[in-house]
Amino acid sequence: MKESKWKQYITIYGFVFCLVSVMVIMIISPKKAISSAERRRLAEKPKLTVKNLMDKSFMDDTEKYLLDHFPFRDGLRRIKASFAYDILQQKENNDIYVVDGHASKLEYPLNEASVKRLSDKMKGLRQQYFPEQTVWYAIVPDKNYFLAQQNGFPSMDYKRIIDLLSQALSADDVPDAAFQYMDIMSELSIDDYYYTDTHWRQERILGVACHVADALGVVGLLSFSTDSQETFTENKIKNFYGVYYGQAALPMEPDTMVYLTSEVTDAARVWSLEENMQSGKKTTTVMLPDEQGAVWKMVYQTEKLEDGKSLDKYDIFVGGASSLQVIRSPKASSQKRLILFRDSYTSSLAPLLLEAYREIVLIDLRYIDSTRIGTYVDFAEADILFLYNTSIVNHSEMLK
Amino acid sequence: MLFSSITFLYLFLPLTIIFYFFVPQKGKNLVLLVMSLLFYAWGEPVYVLLMLAQIVISYVLLWFVDRFRERRAAGIFYILSVLLPFAALFYFKYFHFFMDTIFGIRTKTIALPIGISFYTFQIVSYCVDVYCGRVKRQKNLVTYAAYVTLFPQLVAGPIVRYSEIEQTLTKGIDFSKFHKSFGQGLVRFVVGLGKKVLIANVIGEFVAEVAALSQRNLTLSWAYAIAVSLQIYFDFSGYSDMAIGLGGIFGFSFPENFRYPFISQSVTEFWRRWHITLGAWFRDYVYIPMGGNRVCMPRWILNIFVVWLFTGLWHGAGWNFIVWGLLFAVLLVMEKGVGRLFGNRKNSGSAMDSKSVLKKDLAKALIGIVKHGYVIFIILISFLIFHNDSLSNAVADIQALFAQGSHIAHNLGSVEHAVYAYVMRNRMIILCVGLLGSTPLPLWIWTKLQERLQTVRIGNKIIYVLTSAMVLCVMVLCTAYLIDGSFNPFLYFRF
Repeated sequence: MKESKWKQYITIYGFVFCLVSVMVIMIISPKKAISSAERRRLAEKPKLTVKNLMDKSFMDDTEKYLLDHFPFRDGLRRIKASFAYDILQQKENNDIYVVDGHASKLEYPLNEASVKRLSDKMKGLRQQYFPEQTVWYAIVPDKNYFLAQQNGFPSMDYKRIIDLLSQALSADDVPDAAFQYMDIMSELSIDDYYYTDTHWRQERILGVACHVADALGVVGLLSFSTDSQETFTENKIKNFYGVYYGQAALPMEPDTMVYLTSEVTDAARVWSLEENMQSGKKTTTVMLPDEQGAVWKMVYQTEKLEDGKSLDKYDIFVGGASSLQVIRSPKASSQKRLILFRDSYTSSLAPLLLEAYREIVLIDLRYIDSTRIGTYVDFAEADILFLYNTSIVNHSEMLK
Repeated sequence: MLFSSITFLYLFLPLTIIFYFFVPQKGKNLVLLVMSLLFYAWGEPVYVLLMLAQIVISYVLLWFVDRFRERRAAGIFYILSVLLPFAALFYFKYFHFFMDTIFGIRTKTIALPIGISFYTFQIVSYCVDVYCGRVKRQKNLVTYAAYVTLFPQLVAGPIVRYSEIEQTLTKGIDFSKFHKSFGQGLVRFVVGLGKKVLIANVIGEFVAEVAALSQRNLTLSWAYAIAVSLQIYFDFSGYSDMAIGLGGIFGFSFPENFRYPFISQSVTEFWRRWHITLGAWFRDYVYIPMGGNRVCMPRWILNIFVVWLFTGLWHGAGWNFIVWGLLFAVLLVMEKGVGRLFGNRKNSGSAMDSKSVLKKDLAKALIGIVKHGYVIFIILISFLIFHNDSLSNAVADIQALFAQGSHIAHNLGSVEHAVYAYVMRNRMIILCVGLLGSTPLPLWIWTKLQERLQTVRIGNKIIYVLTSAMVLCVMVLCTAYLIDGSFNPFLYFRF
């Protein structure tokens, strides 16, 4: 009886002690602004106002804040991932699965309406800005293209994507040969991608660069070939944990990121719209590339590796996500210009084409409305290429 | 505020426990009231005033009932005390549906206050019980308000009657039983949390994955139907377990709300095991006052239909809920009819030899399997109706169980095959856990293990360590799941 009482006391006080301890640690522990594991900004402490109290946003934001700053958050996320994988035998955690050390995000089923939306967008842009020019397009496969089917994971029907796009872009309302497909999928294998990230490795896509250059008729201007990369110096960044590492919350070995430099890339400079915007009280002014005082940066922006400058080490490639960028290459072998409608994959591809193009314009329609780009970009006599990853093709609603 | 939220688990709960146990007996109800109002206001900062108004109005009306007892005025105040909460419930929950769907008059959608169906029923049951003299009117407004707002059961039940917790509210915690009740409450709360976060939410992800597919195959259609039922069961019974557990932690004894409903062998039995407090409420406050089964057959059938129409409507203002309720009315009437038909033949046999007894046992077992299969089938169908927002979707889901309708894929390509196979394989274990967890098997195993352990000298210590380890593991896992995930809806909050 006495022993039973003691057990009850231990239960009550032990439980209350645990709850109160967690509460105190949660309140007094130092708060981080960024989660390096998840590569995102953590929620800030919500401000208490009558408005956000009444519309319940204060309560929602408080829960998000507590979740983001919970003690031992990363460890708990790993526990959850291990439980889901090992006990519940789930094949994925937060839609990320790991095969042969490669993490990949499930992307299925194919959204055919999205493919149509993309083709309509491409046709509309051509009609508006470059109606007489031949437009090239290529699709970068995600890692599921190489991993999913043979390992029992669902994926999109990649052949169907290409079929749908080519059907839509060769329809009756489009002039003959207005759009040309460039098959780069066959140039790639799973080894060309990082283990912990969604992106391809720059040092492994020389073949893709050559293929693109060949299709655009500038391959003769490149000093490297698929097999040789003597032109470039390899620069290594160790301990690169990609975007899937944080999402999967599973123990994974880090990647080594390699970026390729040469005299050409060292001489080239990048102008980006965001870096050259100056917001006034009422208006926002932009310092255009040719204006005095415009900000130009290096192609590889290693300063992004410093703590807190960027959430993603992949941002060293031309500075990461930006709506509009112009890369000028004074040591290019031609005066040609290339306009690339792109996503983040192109950030590491574009530097490889700087030998062939004096100017490469990168347009990311996820961040800029397509009706605005005419203000900044001259399309005349430029090579035009749409280069999108399959995830963008399947979620083209992101394109403005 | 959700029980399965970090705000509740690691901020609200420890603070409430500290305040509740550090204030003297006299102030405990006030602490409960204040914390319960905070709990409710966290999710309904505006409608908390509506709830308070309803509490004050019913309190005043019952004061008049007491004041004018034995006079006609008492009846008027009593009717008002019952009608006003129902009027508020009707306005917020059904007005738009009736105007829009039945009368064809377009009206604006009205936001439904969380838990209004639950606290309305509690207020009404209290008013009826006071008027009928089953309980004494609570003269202390704080105590009465603490009863209605008591946060463990405020937003999703179980529907607790005043008589069931009057003792603790008025006389305080019985400390001779409290330590045991706290420990049992804690285990029950954590079990409920685990049911909700580790089972219902994960099965809910499977349900969402299948629903997101434009089509599915036959296997996936059945798995989907099973998963929907399991999700609803673990979500709601998990919440009830948490509520009962919290009640125990704070010294209250709440009624059971679920008793393994999926092992039932008839729909009648199912409703004795599913949402028991709601069934009991309708039985005591609607069915029996209407005459129950002590009336002629047509009237009895009418009573059944009225009760089940209300039961359906209680769950939501939509045709699917009406159909859902009436489906059970039809089945209950049919079961009663079949029961009467076969019940008469029950004792017609004479003395039997052992062979006949064996045959009879075998037949009984077979009938049991058939009955169980029938109930499971009905449950799957009924929860597909319950789960869907529209009747047409529910019909499509039901048709898919028979390889018919728009949800079934007929010409499957390799991509579809891969998707369907993957979705099933990915959640196979949790579906099995759900199926086993919905039966008494885990409890039976645990009880047997306890019995075995109690025969050895340190058996009780081992049981204590095992229980504590289980509580700790489930708490850590639930916290991990909450931190990593965003899928955490409570299905019964909409009622």
